Amino acid sequence: MADIAELKHRIKSIQDTHQITKAMELISVAKMRKAMLKQAASSVYFDRVRATLKDIMLHSTDIRNAYVRHRPDTRAAYIVIAGDKGLAGAFNNNVLNLAWQHIQTRPVHYVITIGQMARSFFESRDQAVDLEFTHAVTSPTLHDSRGIMRDILDLYDRNLMDEVYVVFTRMISSSVHEPTVVKLLPIEAKDIEVEAASSFRGEICYDPSPSEVLDILVPQYLVGMIYSTLIHSAASEHAARMMAMSNANKNADKMLDSLSLEYNRLRQSAITTELLDLSSGRFFSDTNTR
Amino acid sequence: MNKFLLEIITPEKSFYRGEVESINIPSIGGSCTIEAGHQPMVFATEPGTLRITADGASREAFMSEGFIEVRPDETLVFSQAVEWPEDINERRAAEAKERAEEQLRRNRSAAEYRLNRLALQRAFARLRVKHHNYLSGN
Repeated sequence: MADIAELKHRIKSIQDTHQITKAMELISVAKMRKAMLKQAASSVYFDRVRATLKDIMLHSTDIRNAYVRHRPDTRAAYIVIAGDKGLAGAFNNNVLNLAWQHIQTRPVHYVITIGQMARSFFESRDQAVDLEFTHAVTSPTLHDSRGIMRDILDLYDRNLMDEVYVVFTRMISSSVHEPTVVKLLPIEAKDIEVEAASSFRGEICYDPSPSEVLDILVPQYLVGMIYSTLIHSAASEHAARMMAMSNANKNADKMLDSLSLEYNRLRQSAITTELLDLSSGRFFSDTNTR
Repeated sequence: MNKFLLEIITPEKSFYRGEVESINIPSIGGSCTIEAGHQPMVFATEPGTLRITADGASREAFMSEGFIEVRPDETLVFSQAVEWPEDINERRAAEAKERAEEQLRRNRSAAEYRLNRLALQRAFARLRVKHHNYLSGN
């Protein structure tokens, strides 16, 4: 019976895929949890950096920092963060399409990609990728973010661009993530989101001066921003993959159910036919010998 | 001596939390000491030695660039890296020092000069903290 063998083969192959998707789901759950823990550990630090930076920018007037000054906004650079791998539902597509739309509104633009999928997306659309960071997506570290920050500041210092945007996926909860564009440079007080407001509301002095404290804070603020966008992106990628894989698991279960039902039915009918053959053969041989 | 609450936070972890009598910090304007009842202030710091005095005993730690927020209720130290002498990897610091010196000799651009100078400062500060505590027998 060729049909039964075929069915058996199909069941086997679905079982194998099912095993893989199950493993991938479990891995994604663990990785997402790890990324969120990392985010929690660093957010205390970077929230205070943001809050202090905002306080200085709102209350001090004599600030002369190159990264705060507004430049004519014609040339924009985009840092696009996507995943290294597919199989994560619409995760990569959503963030890349948003980036693509935003980029089209600017006459002069540069594209900096983080993650393999981002690079191949822009290459397939004939958009030159000006700078590329690899290996920063799967498990972002502070060290990676410092390296990225240094390279971008270097380009900014050479006056190649007026604005720097980051396009990434923000993780709102484990099931809700949305692609977002945030402005990284120049730094404006209104762009700084502060999650934890200071409990102290009085006048604070800055030593040696507000602008020197600002000089220290700016690089740390940028590192913090890059790090948190990387982490958010990594966590959402794993969350998206987790959901895609759990859907795949459900589908595989459903398919296995119906296939095994069919297999059993076929097997049963094969047995029935065989029995009929046997008993009818016996019946004839019995009647012939008698 | 009056005490105040000190908390030291790095991006990786909370490094220290407790009641202390005074801290000596490597502020950009020069080293200075903070005691209880200090005026609310924010200090910017450069890589150097942080000395914490608690219960009459003082300990030194390496502190990278960061800032210190003195508030009426507590004092918060934020820094990229804070390390006790026993956690400092001496060989890595010595290597970093040599690398920074080598880079400084080449001296390509102003931005690079600044970066290398900071790296050298960090390496020196780490080595100083490590050796200082060796000598005092802690």
